[in-house]
Amino acid sequence: MSTVVSKLESSRDLEEYRSEVCGRAARVDCTVRVCCGPGCLPKGAAKVYDGFVAAAGGPGEKSVAVSSKLTGCQGLCECGPIVTVSRLWEERGDSPHLPERPATNLGSVPGCAQMGTGYPLGAFFPGGIFYQRVRPEDVAEIWRESVEGGRVVERLLYHDDKTGTAARTAAEIPFYRGHCRVALALCGVADARSIDDYIAARGYAALAKVLASMTPEDVMAEVTRSGLRGRGGGGFPTGKKWRSARDAHGEPKYLIANGDEGDPGAFMDRALMEGVPHAVIEGMIIGGYAIGSSRGYIYVRNEYPIAVDRLHDAVLQARRMGFLGENILGSGFSFDIRINRGGGAFVCGESTALMASLEGRVGEPRAKYIHTVEAGFHGKPSLLNNVETWANVPPIILHGADWFAALGTPKSKGTKVFSLVGRVKNTGLVEVPMGMTLRQIIFDIGGGIRDEKSFKAVQTGGPSGGCIPAACLDEPVDFDRLSELGSMMGSGGMIVMDEDTCMVNLARYFLRFLKEESCGKCTPCREGIAQMLHLLEEITAGRGRPGDLERLEQLAALLEDTALCALGKTAANPVLSTLRYFRGEYEAHIAQRHCPAKECRGLFRYRIDAEACTGCGVCRKKCPVDAIAGQRKEPHVIDDEKCTFCGTCRDVCRFAAVTRV
Amino acid sequence: MPTVILDEKSCAAEVGETILDVARRNGVWIPTLCYHPALEAYASCRLCMVEIDRGGWWQMVTACNYPVRRDLAVRVESERAVRARQGVMRLLLARAPESPELQRLAARLGIQSPGLPTVTVAERNCILCGLCVRACEERIGTAAISLAGRGVERKVSTPFDEPSADCILCGACAAVCPVGTIQWEVHGDEVELVPFGTRGPVRRCAACGAVLAAELAALAVAGRGAAAVQGLMDGEGFCWRCKRKKLARELSAGLPGGGPPSPRERPP
Repeated sequence: MSTVVSKLESSRDLEEYRSEVCGRAARVDCTVRVCCGPGCLPKGAAKVYDGFVAAAGGPGEKSVAVSSKLTGCQGLCECGPIVTVSRLWEERGDSPHLPERPATNLGSVPGCAQMGTGYPLGAFFPGGIFYQRVRPEDVAEIWRESVEGGRVVERLLYHDDKTGTAARTAAEIPFYRGHCRVALALCGVADARSIDDYIAARGYAALAKVLASMTPEDVMAEVTRSGLRGRGGGGFPTGKKWRSARDAHGEPKYLIANGDEGDPGAFMDRALMEGVPHAVIEGMIIGGYAIGSSRGYIYVRNEYPIAVDRLHDAVLQARRMGFLGENILGSGFSFDIRINRGGGAFVCGESTALMASLEGRVGEPRAKYIHTVEAGFHGKPSLLNNVETWANVPPIILHGADWFAALGTPKSKGTKVFSLVGRVKNTGLVEVPMGMTLRQIIFDIGGGIRDEKSFKAVQTGGPSGGCIPAACLDEPVDFDRLSELGSMMGSGGMIVMDEDTCMVNLARYFLRFLKEESCGKCTPCREGIAQMLHLLEEITAGRGRPGDLERLEQLAALLEDTALCALGKTAANPVLSTLRYFRGEYEAHIAQRHCPAKECRGLFRYRIDAEACTGCGVCRKKCPVDAIAGQRKEPHVIDDEKCTFCGTCRDVCRFAAVTRV
Repeated sequence: MPTVILDEKSCAAEVGETILDVARRNGVWIPTLCYHPALEAYASCRLCMVEIDRGGWWQMVTACNYPVRRDLAVRVESERAVRARQGVMRLLLARAPESPELQRLAARLGIQSPGLPTVTVAERNCILCGLCVRACEERIGTAAISLAGRGVERKVSTPFDEPSADCILCGACAAVCPVGTIQWEVHGDEVELVPFGTRGPVRRCAACGAVLAAELAALAVAGRGAAAVQGLMDGEGFCWRCKRKKLARELSAGLPGGGPPSPRERPP
């Protein structure tokens, strides 16, 4: 995507190059952005993108100069594939290259810019018409109407269920209100494959600033003052970690980006690495300069092939332009990055296991009595941060620690990226300031619960996190508050559950996941999780015994006290948090052999509502064990003795007469 | 020199020593299973949990690999530490309830039965402490066995579960195994490592026929073992007993009267 240029040898070179790129961008009349993020891609976004490329390159005279961009995640995965079409004046900002916005009939344009002025701060972002659920066959119409004609294709707009109005831009969609993109600032705006797009939006300007005018001490002071905390889960103060790494004895020092995302339902890091790989790389170079390291590694799981490719290409681009390698921008500082692929073991997201894997050994954790910043990768000082943490560094340097610290809560600064999934209406990728309440995230942004069901709990922090009930919906989301609630920030997965979810079964699901992902090195994790899972399986199968809950709690305490790594120490959290908020549900399973959410097979009964039943006989014919009897046009009855609770009758009934009790 | 206080007992320690080193030197018993003084600490069995003072709070650590860096207060017999060690012991005993070695250790920790069902499969009572694997890799330098699989599927294994081509049948793995999972068994002229199924010829004493070592192990240590081991393996290939007899005979040959009568010739 980027044009071949010689290496940039100074900050001045970079400025000149940027102005050249912006000049090129200003000659484009219309920009089409096709979201090819993790949510849109499986829905056929790549074909949509190809359609726009083909249309732009087709025969005949073109009345408009069009730039088609393949972007990272634009957020509203529920409605993908997403396409935005913006005219040149909507790419506005204070860039001298771009014209003023003309009088228009297209409604308001969000007040942030992406070309020319730097990171768009605050709300999301590409201006222009926002199309959703675009299929490849819609491309021709969008091209004709919007790209060439400047008109709106009404049928592809987002329609708000509540108000019934159509939204023409992202800014008019409730999902995007409250978004504040910092780490993901350019995700969905810049072409994910293009270093030019990144540079045009002042990418690598933070690096140039650091190399030209800041000492390593300055950089560290700035990061410390920003209050940035590790985004991978633990929330350790980043500045403090960098300080320890800088002060550690031993050469060489290593720098590592953790992209081994593995929580069920989480795709924040994937979206980030696919959408703005250069933000991670730039953050790492700055980190390398600050702690005195010249070797960086990005550890990314092999199940993220697109992320691997993008990062790989981005490193090559950065090397070609002179952001990586010897004597970066003429500063005398040298730094390079290698991409390492992980085999997809969950435990390899743990720092010591990750480093063992990076060394080519089995990915198993070791004791951290000596921290990895002192002796990590190959026994040398190693600074490991999550990819999202790294991506936060360039904006902090560019806009200052004060700007960053103004976002968020007193102890949790900045923003956090969440993947909002589960039984919520608007699933998607969300970046919001810390301190936003769960209610705002789930109901205002997420649009509430699907199918008019009621909210039951939200699971945050992945398998190490916990479930937070409706009573805590107004709690602010920050590192400390979530921990107090018995959950954790984790890397940012947010799974929303409705009334039909059995919390005991949910705990069982996570424990099963952890049992499969435990490396098996230490006794408590390997044996303890298996013991807890056994108890949960007994309870959900209706064979729970009095005292099982106490046994679960004892095992949980044992794991927390004796397991080797964080995976084992926190493995009981899904059980502990559900026990804390939904103990009654556990007790019902044991004492009454009843699943209140009616999810655990055998712990509830199927009934046919005599009023609703029309006697059509479909359920009777489909029942695999002949447990249903009844005359034609008369209400049918289920024989509980024969019933195996398979649920077929409920699935086939067209009158919703079969209920669970 | 830092001072380590074990419960009430004040002990002098070197920087870099582990809590377990200090405890053993001072006669304080902390149970261990995956620890061996000749091997790197691995801290996988978690049986040596103790509490240390972190200034305001007490942290649970494994004694076998926690390095002493400065003065340190340790609680070995506190309620929490004892409960943790008993809990770990219960989990191990639930895995391998038949193991007499585990039963003995459990009894010493005050546990008669695990109180938990057996939910994981232990092949021949293996508790996955990893001593065998580490002895093979760190001390013998062969790495003929390793821990394969993940979580409850984990097991000690030769590559592809086939008899190992690299194994020299030295038997170090069997010697360090705390629960007798691995056995070095002689069948006629061959020795077999159970349960790996690796077999090889055995070297016997040239005089009495007693088993000396596996042939491969004898060849492997030639030139690199300790003096005593080398002496055993080279020369005429006698076992230590026969070698001593021979030496005694040679020495006594110079005595007046041609030495003592052999036992058989002694009058009744």
